[in-house]
Amino acid sequence: MTVRTANRGTAGRASALSRLGDAALPLGIMFSLLLVWEAAVHLLDIKAYVLPAPTAIFGELVASGPKVILPQLKATLFETLAGYALAVAVAAVLSVLILYSSAFRRGVLPLIVASQTVPVITMAPVLVIWFGYNSLPRIIITAIVAFFPLTIATVTGLRSLEPQFIDFFRSLNATPSQIFFKLRLPVALPNIFGGLKVAATLAVIGATISEWVGASQGIGYLIAQDTAQLNTTRVFASLTVLGISGMALFGLVGLVERLSMPWLHRRPSLAWLRNTRGNGQAAGAVARS
Amino acid sequence: MESARLQISGLYCGYVTPDRGLVPAVDGIDLSLKSNEFVSIIGPSGCGKSTLFNVIAGLLAPNSGDVALDGRKIVGQPGHVAYMMQRDLLLPWRTVLDNVVLGPELAGRPMAEVRNRALALLRRFGLEGYENSYPSALSGGMRQRAALLRTILCDRSVVLLDEPFGALDALTRATMHEWLLGIQREFRQTMILITHDPDEAVYLSDRVYVATPRPMRFAGVVPVSLPYERTSDVTMTPEFAHHKRQVLSFLRGGKDAPAALH
Repeated sequence: MTVRTANRGTAGRASALSRLGDAALPLGIMFSLLLVWEAAVHLLDIKAYVLPAPTAIFGELVASGPKVILPQLKATLFETLAGYALAVAVAAVLSVLILYSSAFRRGVLPLIVASQTVPVITMAPVLVIWFGYNSLPRIIITAIVAFFPLTIATVTGLRSLEPQFIDFFRSLNATPSQIFFKLRLPVALPNIFGGLKVAATLAVIGATISEWVGASQGIGYLIAQDTAQLNTTRVFASLTVLGISGMALFGLVGLVERLSMPWLHRRPSLAWLRNTRGNGQAAGAVARS
Repeated sequence: MESARLQISGLYCGYVTPDRGLVPAVDGIDLSLKSNEFVSIIGPSGCGKSTLFNVIAGLLAPNSGDVALDGRKIVGQPGHVAYMMQRDLLLPWRTVLDNVVLGPELAGRPMAEVRNRALALLRRFGLEGYENSYPSALSGGMRQRAALLRTILCDRSVVLLDEPFGALDALTRATMHEWLLGIQREFRQTMILITHDPDEAVYLSDRVYVATPRPMRFAGVVPVSLPYERTSDVTMTPEFAHHKRQVLSFLRGGKDAPAALH
């Protein structure tokens, strides 16, 4: 244990290297696939409207990315983030209700589960009728797609507490709100962040498909237009941008996760700061051994 | 006669099963502790000792009987005594320092003062330099000492210890015994310890109560007449062996066991 404390600095650096190694494998596989794809398109003489070559997609990205795709991305990102925020708020309220009200758990939860079997995209036209041709129906669709797995993950986390900890807090005369905020919530954090990551990717998907119906802007709208005109190359360019956005959002949530749970993730920045501050501590540990 | 710090009288506690009705877990327990006394309760596993502690801690309401602290009834009221459970129950997301100040924090006491006191006590508890470490970095003995420091910082006159050293290896355990006695003397705590270990019970206690399995009753009590200031050497003396024999005899249900040495 002492050794671990003392060596944390070098261990951190080594793991940064090994993480670079971790990234090399998937990147290599992706690059090989792109090569095969490129070769197949040229050798089999596949038409661009059926399957464009990766180099053509890249060229399209450079040509129409800044002027055409990025402005549309702005609308989609807004819907994604607003819908995500709405989903988080709804999931928070639902989770607490499910946790503390057995009536809600028995009466309403089955209905929410049942509602998940309805394909959300079929509701899009109705929502447009209700809320008009603006971004609100699309934000709602995004939230509907994203809130459910987040709610389930949060409830699972909040209920994963061992009863002994509750007894212990009760023996300290803790109030119910102290038990929630100082015990249940920290215990649930790993599950909650798992749900937040899934919800982040779902929000991107939700926002995009919501733009297939009754939208006049957004990446989903652009994809629908380009598909109709057989501009397959730009469809793939748009998909590339979407993929990168989704990964960025996922990574951002992952970063927040690491920063908020330093007891699980010792390596990243916050823990590094802590270690530099606590150098005396490591030295003390060595002296003790 | 000096008045009792903790007075438990006629405690009866049972649980209801579908087929057998009310099954007693604790049946007619009387226990009286003076200030600064150390008393052990020894008995086989699952004999209802933890039920007794949950009642004293106010987590569980008994079917009948009373618990009084300094003459005041505390039945069904948590927060009056400090309770150290079998597992250390350190919160993995809090540093050692944040863990040990949990009691005063939940009670809403001014934290700057409490943290300073905790920092000053870390050395006495062998945790110096670990205030900013997470519990996952601590050894088993260190975790138990952190849990005990957290219990002491609750500032309660009576401390309940439910097999705190059960999971430790024998060597660590022996060190912890000597150290715990020092803490009990220094912080003037009235302690009740639950244990399976006759050596631990005799070494630490002023009195050892031997409990029968479910329902829990006291089969006998062994007053320990070892010097107040004791070190582990005392475990080699004939007096220690005699007390241990008495405890074991009660544990085996021997009716011929003497009630007291002198």
